[in-house]
Amino acid sequence: MNKVDQVPAAYRSNAEANREMDDIGRMIRACIQCGTCSGSCPNEFAMDLTPRRLWRLVLLGQEEEIFSSTTFCLCSACYYCTLRCPRGLPLTEAMYRLKQAAARRKVKAYRTSEAFYGSFLESVRRHGRVRESEFMTLYFSAMKNPLLPLRFASLGLKLMAKGKVDLRPPSRGDMRLAALFDKVARLESRQLTRNDR
Amino acid sequence: MKTNSSKALVVGAGISGIRSALDLAESGHQVILIDRSLHMGGILSRLDYQFPTNHCGMCKMLPLVERDSGSQFCLRKGLFHDNIELRLGCELTSVSGKPGEFSVTLRQAPTQVDPDLCTGCGICSQVCPVEVPDDFNAGLATRKAIYLPLPHAVPNPYVIDPAACDHCGKCLQVCPTGAINLSDQQRGNFLILVVDDEPAVRDSLKEWLVDEGFAVDMAESGRQALEMLRDKDYGLMLTDIKMPGMDGVELLQRAKQVRPELTVVMMTAYATVETAVEAMKEGAFDYLMKPFDPARMIPMVVRIFEDRMAARDLEIGVGAIVLACGTDYFNPAESKNTLGYGICPHVITGIEFERLVSGTGPTAGRLVRPADGKPARKIAWLQCVGSRDLQTNTDYCSSVCCMYAVKEALLAGEKAGEDVETAIFYMDMRAFGLPFQRYLDEAAARPGMRFERTRVHSVTPHPESGSPVLTYMGTDGKLVDETFDLVVLSVGQRPARRTEQLAEMTGCKLNQWGFPATAPLDPVSTDRPGIFVSGSASGLKDISESVIFASAAAARAAVAMGGGDGSSETDDKETAYRDVSGRRPKIMAIVCTCGQRLSTDRDGPLVEKRLKTDPAVGEVVFVDRLCTAGGWQKAQEAAAAKDFNRILVGACHPYLFVKKIKALSAAIRLAPHLIDAVDLGLTGPDSSPPAPALPVARLQAGLARLKAAVVDRLPEVEVAATALVVGGGVAGMQAALTMAERGHRVTLVEKSDRLGGNLDWLQTTIDGQDLQDLCRTMVSEVESHPNIKTMTGSGIVGGYGQVGSFFTTIRGPDGEISTLEHGVAILATGGREATTTAYGYGSSDRIITQRRLEQALADTSIKPAGLETVVMIQCVDSRRKPRNYCSRVCCPTTIKHCLKIKQQNPETAVYVLYRDIMTPGFMETYFTAARRAGVIFIPYDPENRPEVEVADGEKGAESVKVNCTDPVSGLKLTIETDLLVLATGIVPRLPAELAATFGVDVDEHGFFRPADSKWRPVDALKEGVFACGICLGPRAAVESMATGQAAASRALRIISRRRISSGHPVAQVRYSLCALCERCIEACPYRARMLDTDRTKVVVNTAMCQGCGTCAAVCPNGASVINGYLRQQMFETIDALTQAFDEPLDLEAGKV
Repeated sequence: MNKVDQVPAAYRSNAEANREMDDIGRMIRACIQCGTCSGSCPNEFAMDLTPRRLWRLVLLGQEEEIFSSTTFCLCSACYYCTLRCPRGLPLTEAMYRLKQAAARRKVKAYRTSEAFYGSFLESVRRHGRVRESEFMTLYFSAMKNPLLPLRFASLGLKLMAKGKVDLRPPSRGDMRLAALFDKVARLESRQLTRNDR
Repeated sequence: MKTNSSKALVVGAGISGIRSALDLAESGHQVILIDRSLHMGGILSRLDYQFPTNHCGMCKMLPLVERDSGSQFCLRKGLFHDNIELRLGCELTSVSGKPGEFSVTLRQAPTQVDPDLCTGCGICSQVCPVEVPDDFNAGLATRKAIYLPLPHAVPNPYVIDPAACDHCGKCLQVCPTGAINLSDQQRGNFLILVVDDEPAVRDSLKEWLVDEGFAVDMAESGRQALEMLRDKDYGLMLTDIKMPGMDGVELLQRAKQVRPELTVVMMTAYATVETAVEAMKEGAFDYLMKPFDPARMIPMVVRIFEDRMAARDLEIGVGAIVLACGTDYFNPAESKNTLGYGICPHVITGIEFERLVSGTGPTAGRLVRPADGKPARKIAWLQCVGSRDLQTNTDYCSSVCCMYAVKEALLAGEKAGEDVETAIFYMDMRAFGLPFQRYLDEAAARPGMRFERTRVHSVTPHPESGSPVLTYMGTDGKLVDETFDLVVLSVGQRPARRTEQLAEMTGCKLNQWGFPATAPLDPVSTDRPGIFVSGSASGLKDISESVIFASAAAARAAVAMGGGDGSSETDDKETAYRDVSGRRPKIMAIVCTCGQRLSTDRDGPLVEKRLKTDPAVGEVVFVDRLCTAGGWQKAQEAAAAKDFNRILVGACHPYLFVKKIKALSAAIRLAPHLIDAVDLGLTGPDSSPPAPALPVARLQAGLARLKAAVVDRLPEVEVAATALVVGGGVAGMQAALTMAERGHRVTLVEKSDRLGGNLDWLQTTIDGQDLQDLCRTMVSEVESHPNIKTMTGSGIVGGYGQVGSFFTTIRGPDGEISTLEHGVAILATGGREATTTAYGYGSSDRIITQRRLEQALADTSIKPAGLETVVMIQCVDSRRKPRNYCSRVCCPTTIKHCLKIKQQNPETAVYVLYRDIMTPGFMETYFTAARRAGVIFIPYDPENRPEVEVADGEKGAESVKVNCTDPVSGLKLTIETDLLVLATGIVPRLPAELAATFGVDVDEHGFFRPADSKWRPVDALKEGVFACGICLGPRAAVESMATGQAAASRALRIISRRRISSGHPVAQVRYSLCALCERCIEACPYRARMLDTDRTKVVVNTAMCQGCGTCAAVCPNGASVINGYLRQQMFETIDALTQAFDEPLDLEAGKV
């Protein structure tokens, strides 16, 4: 019956694809759109949608607009909004969930962030710490942009001069943290299907 | 005749306590009214202005009939009533027994200033060296350790703050009447035993305590302590927990065996705090944490000392208990987000703002910033501070803050000029009472007034000016930093301090937020029979609601005390005054010399000689300090010795003497209005003696008034002890039942053929109570009650009469006519859901009202399982002209239905289009629940209302689309819906002819117009007529029940007496002069005058006349007069006063 495009399926649909967004929506249903989160956010100046508007779009099921925005990519997890929210909503956690959802959906706007986080963690996974040259190599190859390394050249040289860059070439490493990473992945997938709140 | 069963205890002397106490007292019960604080009036004593009048008006709660039995001056100054025993600084400490025969213990705090000796001169306060923050002014000013708890109280004795007093004794030396007793000697008799194995601890404790005047012994072990306890009578033992050998807990147990009444305080280091808490279960009074803070320790010891040595416990038997302990306010400094409070000095709370604009406040009412005295030209109010905040566990709305913020913003305009900028930051503007929306609209029209729908994230001081900067997200999504001069936090309500202890002691339950819990369908009853909750103590009420719930509690208490047979004890104890009619005035003047400011030797003979130039003056007596008990005793002896028929008292504030005059009047059997007090103008901290000319002039003015005093007995009106209730809905039935249970015969007239009113279709309350069940129970109770005569299918044809005696003609179901005489009338004619033509109503079966939805969900003609989408629109035709009021019940009803739909089918998408969601009080929690259930709330602007399109389709299958804009996301939404539900609001059902029959005004919407919307919310201006339920204004079923009880309570004041009279002064008509122009009838604001057509005379109902004098002012012939204010009296009074200036007395030379 509800045939209108703009209007949500958020609370009606059982489809697996919407499950994830339903869960995020449930986390923030008690929102009263007061704007305290947006007023608190130190990164709000750089966001295309204010956090308040983002949460409203989540409640109204506007996935297209949500995932074409960079708002959640810019969350630096300072927890200011969570601390101040008069409804006590887990907003920072909801931002994380949006990042994960974007990664899973391979959202275009989120590709850079995803490649960056992924390359960083891959290096950690291999060695238990980040090896800067390996991390950047992984990142450049993931981005498939031959000109990209040039943008980082001056910063890289400065860091190298100060001995801040581990120059060992990429390697498989001993993978001693692999079990931990696998466990986290399993936990995340379980959380995704859990129907909390 | 006093009996225990008719005495009630009211705990808390704020406005609700006063209302409950006065209602009970006026209907003949003895009342003990106590308050922990040292002044009465509660929170309202600090608030000078109340909306919608922006005035006070508290005095409107004073008795209107039998006025002479109570005080007749400003209620903020104080109250007395023949049937009320007021005890301040008094706490309830235990309750046992059952309704009708409770036994309670009251603890009266010791007074270090004897109120009978203190004259309020204030010299003590001038010499006191201690300055502490003044609680009365919310800490915005300081006061001395000896101070006035309320600057405007009468009488107003000073009190000492024991925690602040440093016992320097300076006040003791200067007090002219020796009223102060610092109880230092008593302290020396209070033995304290300090037990600790460390000498350093023992010594420092001893030093501190000896400094405070206590007697201290020390013991180094438990064993030694026990021996000492056997020898001497210690009042207090301070013991360490960790000691070698016997530890503190063991010592406690054994000490209690030796001296069970010993108070023990445990001393503990951080590591043994848990042991200390355990020790409190073993009987320790409290514990002190090391290292000791004398600022915490000394007050604790002083309190223990006072409890043990000075406090007096009173055991009293009472029949019922009313808890009117009020509420406290949230302290933003305790919040996670303090919004700058306590950090930026220009951030204050709403209470502090009230003090700032108060004439008795720290700036005497000038609106300046308290921190630097600079003018405040731009002021912001932040709403919902400590309300509707899940982070501080307040999922409720405090109900009062929206309107108090609007009022304060308007006051700012009045105080600081129209160009002052005011902004209110809010989420929902809760203007849910009948007159609120109009008030809000008027406020919004004020230039410079701005409303911002957003929450302010933070308040930070400006780096240069230090002024508060608000950071918030505007509705347009832009982040704004805005600097204000002053920021006011609209702090919400919290349960009153020590409510928890009160609940534990009385055995009453608290609700989840810590307010005393009331029964779901019995709004003022706790779970302990005989104990009731009055006013805002049960949570979140404004003045008018508090007053309604206070009257309701009084009615329930009256019923619980039992013994009601329709008559009262007050009729039996009438004082028989001496008959002095027809005698020439013979006056005794008793003149106070006020500590020889009027010298008895030098001025006395001159004053006497001058006064005696008037032959009416028989004797002049000089007494020093009439205000003290001793002084008054002398005056009373002098008055009793001779047979005068008038007594003039010359002293200071006449209010001070009202109660004393009554006592004197009873003692010498002279009517109280033949005894008068005048202010001689002698008092004040200024110590130079005034010239005696002014006191003499004032005494002569007093003589002029007394000489012409009317000596006749006050006329009385016979009262029919029966009541008529019009309307058999929930409110009417409740009112009838309450009066019937008190033993009065009640006639209940209902237009339709059965009782129930709107309960007929209402299913449940928002908290799930079964209203159908309530309806059945109430109808059967009413129908089976022997004192209630139910007349269904009947109507009022006409009637006349006045308080005590109304004659009303009723047409029965078969057209038969009968006439009923009754003492009071209660209108409970109710209201109904409004009809509408808006939003396509009527064009499709898919568009229905909330009432229809309630019924359809109950009879399952609409099943949520079959609904994909539901849209609800609020404020249909409401809150804008011509129906410019909020119907109050629609938002909770909508939310109730949303939850019901979501409960039955969580998959149904539910949208609520609203202006402001009105869920005051605890109803807020259902609003949160609805959001959590996934209901989408979309605000709309009254200028940009949603649009509804109904497309043709099969009958019952038309397509209904709702177009609206979501302001936050900016999306234009088109919602195709299965069901569109309209909240059309409530309209009253109070026919104009019916209102006219009972002399009642209706407002522009057709609701009953109360005498005062705040202070007399269920009374008509015409005494003897009351209203309850929806005809007073929209309200839910349970709230209607409370108004029913309140109206019954107000009615019981009258019908529990056989005769009533008004009080002094009262109007009279001189028929020889009356030209029957009837101007006085029109002018009388109390409808106390009517034309008696049989006798062709204008008659005054002396029970209704309030002696205001309007009639005397409009009468062109001087036929209308006010006794006690006759023309001759007034002229002579004025002459006497002006003469003093025209012909100055040369008293020195002895020429008089």
